[in-house]
Amino acid sequence: MANVLEQLLNALALAGLLFLVSAGLSLVFGILRVVNFAHGVFYMLGAYLGFTTVALSGWFWPALLVVPPVVGAIGALLESSTLRFIYRRPPIYQLLLTFGLALILEESIRVLYGPTAKGVDPPPLLQGAIDLGGVLYPRYRLFLVVLGCTVGVAVWLFLRKTRAGLVIRAVAQNSEMADCLGADVVRVRTLVFGAACALAGLGGVAAAPMTTAYLGMGIGVIVDAFVVVVIGGLGSIGGSMAGEEE
Amino acid sequence: MRRRDFLKISVAGAAGTSLLAAPRYLRAQGPIKIGMPAALSGSYAQYGIQAKRAADLFSKDIKAKGILGRPVEFIFEDTAGDPAAAVRKAQKLVEKDGVKFLTGVALSSEALAVSAKCPEWKVLFMSTINGAGALTAKSFHRYFFRVNTSGPMGARAISLYLAESPMKRFFALGSDYAWGRDSAASFTQQITAAKKDIVGSDYPPVGTKDFASYIAKIRQSRAEGVYLALPGQDATIYMKQAHQFGLNREVKPIMEILELENMKAVGDAMVGAIGSSRYPFTVDTPKNKEFVKRFHELHGMYPDMFDGETYEGLEWLAQVIAKAGTDDVEKVIEAWEDSTYEGLEGPFLMRKCDHQAVQPGFAVECVKDPKYPHPIPKILATYPGDKVTPKCRTEEFS
Repeated sequence: MANVLEQLLNALALAGLLFLVSAGLSLVFGILRVVNFAHGVFYMLGAYLGFTTVALSGWFWPALLVVPPVVGAIGALLESSTLRFIYRRPPIYQLLLTFGLALILEESIRVLYGPTAKGVDPPPLLQGAIDLGGVLYPRYRLFLVVLGCTVGVAVWLFLRKTRAGLVIRAVAQNSEMADCLGADVVRVRTLVFGAACALAGLGGVAAAPMTTAYLGMGIGVIVDAFVVVVIGGLGSIGGSMAGEEE
Repeated sequence: MRRRDFLKISVAGAAGTSLLAAPRYLRAQGPIKIGMPAALSGSYAQYGIQAKRAADLFSKDIKAKGILGRPVEFIFEDTAGDPAAAVRKAQKLVEKDGVKFLTGVALSSEALAVSAKCPEWKVLFMSTINGAGALTAKSFHRYFFRVNTSGPMGARAISLYLAESPMKRFFALGSDYAWGRDSAASFTQQITAAKKDIVGSDYPPVGTKDFASYIAKIRQSRAEGVYLALPGQDATIYMKQAHQFGLNREVKPIMEILELENMKAVGDAMVGAIGSSRYPFTVDTPKNKEFVKRFHELHGMYPDMFDGETYEGLEWLAQVIAKAGTDDVEKVIEAWEDSTYEGLEGPFLMRKCDHQAVQPGFAVECVKDPKYPHPIPKILATYPGDKVTPKCRTEEFS
């Protein structure tokens, strides 16, 4: 029984991280119709920037707040400078471009940080393990479960209950019609891409204390995230929440 | 043309050809080239980079006198830790660059693949990193030399140490490839011989990112110590996660290789782990102190295990080439067999029977020392070479 609980918690903690990545992947596919191979690299970028922030400030919490917007801004910049020009081209161009971006970003990180893994300590509050009725379980993993759920609910509320969410859903459903109705589709695309990258960045920062920041973590996570997104239904956030529980 | 004239002309022609060939031969007398098909990128890049760092320092040290008065040239190729790429790059080094010596190969899987081709290429393969026991046992051939401590030797050193400890129950966790499986098997055999129990074993795939299920299994086994043969990043991630699960307090981590790189990445969570070390930079010999100082001056850091082992290999190779008086591979092999060398951590002997270097083995513990910016290996016990080297061409100990 204790074993079942432990495995269940493991699954939920990993699912929390995976959700942050696959939600963004799913959003980008839904709105931009782009299969973004570079998405995993933003996750890795988040982890490395998290490492830098923790090393500079000595605190973990600021990293959780500062890094996602930075990663998001980098993502938005890349979208508006590269991806924007090829939406009307066949999908193979998008694959080529995003894959190229992934390679460039990954190699840049290697040049900047060197090839060895970078360890990040969890904040003092979340260090060590807690006794859950006979099961010693790391506090940090419990935090990941909570984080995943919180962000999931927040994203869902944002898409369902706010006006911006409504516009995003409209663009996802039919971008030309949304354009006719006055939605600024170009801007929506850039912002959604940025937000998706920020989510991946948040995932990366949150993952760093558990798995360390290492080269290749982007490639590893993107495969799992694709599985989640496909099972959950391409372009569906609710689907990717359910999908990652497999 | 009469027959005799024809003969004269051909003799003259042959002489002419050899005269033409002479300058070419002299040109081949240029630098002594050492090829390094090393993993310089990818998950295992830290090992290739250690080999490169050692080579950089060695080039600097040997620059003034060279080997046999000839300069030494290193040619690097990046294999990214892939055996197929390693063979391809090694072949390029041999056929295109004309190297006679290959070294710096990082993973055992790569080494097994490259080593198998060396008799055909007639080049000497010097291992300074590769742990798989098979290299000097089942897969041994005369073109292969291992300067470093092998996996089974590391397992032996730590088993000898554990035989004296009060711990009784052990779990073996080895990465699912040649080195991890070899080391776990060797550890199991020796710890059973010491009348202690192996209560479980498992083999996570190379590149595992979540060890939670293995950690649960280790905890359930009620082991007192867990033997870990995990490479680079895998070990870092395992140590971090085991610490978060509070496992390290219940089950003592025992590592086949206790590396500086892991200590830097894991930090304080690593303190208390014990294990064997191929080369702990804290060894107290005059030669090593001098080496650590030079290394720190050049690279601004303390040497890790394979920095030391690769440097020793290169220095020894230079000594052997000087002794042979030539860089002819066959002559170098003869000169190396049964030769001795004063290494950084003590005396080395190259056994003729399987080309395994007999050398001291170490049991170390990861400790904090305010003098250093990261945890360091503290030597718990030193074992002489004859106690930690397996019987010839086997992975067994008497």
